[in-house]
Formats: sequence, C-alpha cells, structure tokens
Amino acid sequence: MKESKSAKLNQLQQQENHQNAHLSPSKLAKLFDPDASWDKDQLGDVLHWIRQVVGLISGLLWGSIPLVGGIWIILFLAISSGIVYGYYAMILKVDEEDFGGHAALLQEGLFASLTLFLLAWILVYSLAHF
Amino acid sequence: MATTIPLFASFKYADSLTVVGISFCTALVCEAISWILIYRTSSYKSLKYSIDKATKKLETMKTENPSSKLSIKKSKTKKIDRVETSLKESSRDLSLFKFKSGAVVALVLFVVFGLLNSLFEGKVVAKLPFHPITIVNKMSHRGLKGDDPTDCSMAFLYLLCSISIRTNLQKFLGFSPPRGAAGAGGLFPMPDPKTN
Repeated sequence: MKESKSAKLNQLQQQENHQNAHLSPSKLAKLFDPDASWDKDQLGDVLHWIRQVVGLISGLLWGSIPLVGGIWIILFLAISSGIVYGYYAMILKVDEEDFGGHAALLQEGLFASLTLFLLAWILVYSLAHF
Repeated sequence: MATTIPLFASFKYADSLTVVGISFCTALVCEAISWILIYRTSSYKSLKYSIDKATKKLETMKTENPSSKLSIKKSKTKKIDRVETSLKESSRDLSLFKFKSGAVVALVLFVVFGLLNSLFEGKVVAKLPFHPITIVNKMSHRGLKGDDPTDCSMAFLYLLCSISIRTNLQKFLGFSPPRGAAGAGGLFPMPDPKTN
C-alpha cells in the first residue's frame, strides 16, 4: 500500500515535470491571456513573483537616485499593489471571489517583496552614495 | 579583522555585502539540509499531496451551489466538516514532522548569527535611507554607538536578508508550505518556520 502510494506520487511528479518542460511557450502566453483558466496556486505564484520583481526594481531605482524618506515605502506599497491589482483585474480579468477575494490576491508575496525592496534600497543607497 | 575583499574596499559600507553574501550562503545550506531531512522523504511528499488534495476538494465543495433541499445541505455540510478535519490533521502532522527535523537548521542559523555578531558587533554596516519608527529602530540600531537613527546594524540587515532571500529561495525551489496548510500564507508569510 505504501509502495503504490509512493509510485503514484512519483508518477504525478513526473507528469508535472513533463508538463512544465513542454508548456513553457504557452505558459508565457497564458500570463497575458484573459481567457486562460487559473488555479489558485498558479495565480498566487505569479502574483508573488510580480511583487518580487517590482520590489527589486524599485529598490535598485530608488537607491540609485536616491529617494530618501519613509514616504517612499508607502509609495512603493501603493505602486506594487496597484500593479498587482491592475494585472489580475484588468489584464487577466479574473473573478477575485474565485480566489479568496482582493485581500488574498493582494497579500501574495507582499511581505517578502517589502523586505526585498528595503534590502535593495538600503544596499544601493549605502554603496552608491557614501 | 578584515571582513571585505580588496575589490569592495573602496565602499564605506562594503560590510553590508559580506552580510548579504553570508545570508545567501546560509539560506542555501539551510535549504539543502531541509531537503535532505524533510523534502525528499516520502512522508513529507505524501502529507503535502494529502493537503493539496484536501484543499482543492474543499474549495470545490464550498463553491458548489447549495441545494434547497435540507437533507442534501446537511450531508454536504458533514462532508465539508470531514474534509476540513482531515486537512487540519494533515497540516498538524506536517508541522510536527518538520519540527523534528528543523532543529538542525535552527542550530546552523544560531551559529551563523553568532558568527556575524562577533564580526560586526558595534559596526555600522549600512545607511538607512529613511528614519525608522521606534520599534524598528531598536533592531536597526542594536549595539551601535551614537544616536543617528539612520545607522544600520548587522542584525537588521541580516533580518531583511533572511526573510527576503529564504522566502524566495523556498518559493523558487518549491519548498514553500502548501497554501492549504495551517499557518501558510497570510499577510506576513515568513520563511517556513519549521525549517528555521
């Protein structure tokens, strides 16, 4: 019984890897396709990585200029959330009720992106301007 | 004690790169240990599979239109309760399983933090581009002399590194806890605490 369960798990993983390898071009197209169907986990992961990219770019940019002051943290949160909202509501046009509501979608990757943003901002600011 | 390589010696706050570098390496080591002790085991895989399956089943059952017949509604509620109970049990088992193996990772993190503390105690490793609030200042100014609130200590930078690098590394490697598991996600998803 244990062996058959283990074999089933391995089979599932192999199928997943097979799908991942063969679906990359269509996966990219899916990111901008409002007619594509989304799994909660898939959408959550995409939103998470969007937040991280926005956080990293914002941190690098604001550290380079430099932008100084706590207000830029609030602005980052607003911009980052706006981009995520714009993506799932206007590009993907998903019904947020199917995914736990706006709060569930907007909080995906929020804290990690905030810490990544702060890290990038602090590092670039410290290294480039002193 | 020399803590920076010659290439970055011209940077006043080059120590920050050392902290980030050590954090990154520590994150890799911790995930490697977690993979050996937790993620590659069949127990973990089967628990994760159970949780994912139960979560999906629960979502499907909750989004189905409720029937007007009272008897069907009752049986549906009972089914939902059964699946929720099964999900909670699997989540608890997963937490327990990870907890036992997480002690090794916790030891590694403890040693690394101690090492960093001894290397950078009392040193300003970075400059904050903002004035932190009082609670944050207690961490960011920990062990530093003077009262410039924009001076950043190793502890704060290490905290930022730990959270951002390890969370994203776990996500990238697919080691994040399943969304259906208790304690996963939420407003402040930290790196998987059971492997800390």
